[in-house]
Amino acid sequence: MKPVYIAGAGMTKFGRSEWSLLQLASVASLAALHHADLGEIPVDGVVVANMGAARINRQTALGSALVDQLALYPAAAEAVENGPASGASAFKVGVQAIASGMADVVLVTGVERMRVVNGLEGTDFVASLSQPEVEYIYGVTLPSLAGMFARLFMDRFGVERKHLAMIAIKNHENATKNPYAHIQQTVTMEGILTAPEAVVNNPPIAEPLHMFDCCPVSDGAASIVLVSEEVAGKLGGPMVRVAGIGQATDTHAVHEREDPTDLKAVRIASEKAFAMAGAQPADVDVAELHDAFTILEIAESEAAGFFAKGEGHKALERGETKLDGTLPINPSGGLKAKGHPVGATGVAQLVELTWQLRGEAKERQIKDAKIGYACNFGGFGNNVVATVLRREA
Amino acid sequence: MAYVSELEASLRPPAMEMPPYPPKVITLASGEEMVVRQVERKEIPTLLEAIYPLLWVERDFYDIVAARLFGELLAYKRHRVKDEYVLAGMIDGVLAGMVNGRLVDEKTGMSYHTLTIRRGLRVGSHLFAAKMEYHIEHLGQDEVLIVAESPIGFRRWMIEYPLEKRFEVQHELGGVPSWVLTSETYYKAKPRLAAGRRPVSEALLRGAETIALPVEEIVVRQVAGEKEGAE
Amino acid sequence: MMGQKVFGAKCTSCGTVSYPRHAVCPNCRAESFEDVEISGTGKVLTYTDVYALAIDYETRYLRLAIVELESGQRVTGQLLDDDPKLGKAVKTQIGVVREQGERQMYGFQFVPA
Repeated sequence: MKPVYIAGAGMTKFGRSEWSLLQLASVASLAALHHADLGEIPVDGVVVANMGAARINRQTALGSALVDQLALYPAAAEAVENGPASGASAFKVGVQAIASGMADVVLVTGVERMRVVNGLEGTDFVASLSQPEVEYIYGVTLPSLAGMFARLFMDRFGVERKHLAMIAIKNHENATKNPYAHIQQTVTMEGILTAPEAVVNNPPIAEPLHMFDCCPVSDGAASIVLVSEEVAGKLGGPMVRVAGIGQATDTHAVHEREDPTDLKAVRIASEKAFAMAGAQPADVDVAELHDAFTILEIAESEAAGFFAKGEGHKALERGETKLDGTLPINPSGGLKAKGHPVGATGVAQLVELTWQLRGEAKERQIKDAKIGYACNFGGFGNNVVATVLRREA
Repeated sequence: MAYVSELEASLRPPAMEMPPYPPKVITLASGEEMVVRQVERKEIPTLLEAIYPLLWVERDFYDIVAARLFGELLAYKRHRVKDEYVLAGMIDGVLAGMVNGRLVDEKTGMSYHTLTIRRGLRVGSHLFAAKMEYHIEHLGQDEVLIVAESPIGFRRWMIEYPLEKRFEVQHELGGVPSWVLTSETYYKAKPRLAAGRRPVSEALLRGAETIALPVEEIVVRQVAGEKEGAE
Repeated sequence: MMGQKVFGAKCTSCGTVSYPRHAVCPNCRAESFEDVEISGTGKVLTYTDVYALAIDYETRYLRLAIVELESGQRVTGQLLDDDPKLGKAVKTQIGVVREQGERQMYGFQFVPA
């Protein structure tokens, strides 16, 4: 396998956008292309990550559409769909193209424009990733799977609602330092949990998960320019290496999981990524985890190998995962506060890591960040892509 | 009281005795305190100024809510609507949202509108509940007639309280078949839907004495959407 | 509703029952199955009251659960119990669990055993 590097990264502000799906994708793509400053070097391939365009935006063949918007013909192009892990999957496809020697420059762009439909339609659409015969028919929605997971996990490992609130508070705080974040609003323990008004401020969504445990529905796009070692050398910028990628699947129906509190696919994908990178979880300086629900940040931090089982919430309590902690998690604000345009998220995590490793994260910069880790959680944990990035020069 | 000519008096609807809404304060998710209090007629121009930019925002039916609310507030100020009230929520003295309605008779209320300006903190939910609290607990009414322009938002109230059908009654907002919140349902729902503390401290009341306008650009952007990209 | 049943797939090679049905037996990869009814008593593994529902539900919330049946099967369904607890004994019954337009979908409901 040939080495693969990231030459550029860009994104749009996440939130509620007036731009069309293709406009969002183009703006993010151009930001990444400008960042990479390719000059005369051509783009060989474009990979688009997206989950809902066919149903929600009534658009298909997004790879071809984006090539056209950016006038990158005759570059190869396709779209990749892997539910909420579409972003990292598209990234993986781009990496494989370069690692195989088939391409030198690949543009990977994740995009989603979900807010054109109302919340009920959006919820039902995302629920389409559940198992049709044994989950969907019961009215299972993604929050309900997260709620059932949370209850069992919390009961087994002594995690309390206050820990979930800490995740929300931390990520909202981080997002105020991120101009691209959807939510620019800090929240307090009093406001979302302990005050009598918290009952109204933070209503139940899928108990024990409440409103501030769930990420918002966002529009947005994020983009990365992947290059071969040769091109990276020519460009002469910071050398951010795609050190490792791992992917793993698990049963579709959550009730068929071997241990329903064990995020097995996260563990296997992470082990593969670290093995490829020749690194350990302890080497990681900064991580972007998939906190579509606050409980997932805690559970993933354990399954990825950063903390022992049942210790994730204790590390959180000790402040280890804050911006100034020993392992900052979700400096971008995470899905919870940065937002979750489904197809863009996996790419946006890597955009944040790229900026961190290049020293370009400004107010939320993690000092001396050299190795970054991202976890993109597809389905409800039945398809996970983990990535390790390393700053080499 | 100002002098009212006979002619003017003949153009005004008769007014019922309405005990004022006792202000309360609510701690929001952000930790900020929102004071909810009744709005006087002389403060209406400020509210009109806040609503004005929303008149052309189609998203989420803001345009029709803003347009109708504008008329209702003006009618309240100019004494051309019977027994209307207006409540506003203020955070650090800045307008966060407003609700209004009126009394059809002693026992029946007619809910008009709920407009949220500061989004993401459930201001609308708090203010809607405050308005129901006013009708049922402080004005002693039996039920409040309710409809909404925005279908999804309304569904939430319909299912959340829940509301009952009173379809034989045409609501004043366009003659749409009415739903109703009864006193019984209100009290059952109160623990999970209504919040706030009384009395409000002197300092907070003073801070909420004058309604400050939110920055227009921020209001429209929060409501209508972003057109921002990468830097 | 009379005669509505929920079926799993019993592998004719190794006897493992899987639910949902797969194209191959997750245990031995054989490809032939016979229908076997799934029902009985079990324990609540986990549950949630979900308020974030799709548009065809007009209820305020749904109480969903994953139950571990005595037969060893785990199943997902709607929990009809005013006092849910982790580990509580329940039994399966079949009822209408979703309606989309004219279509009624039948599935598991769990009631206290």
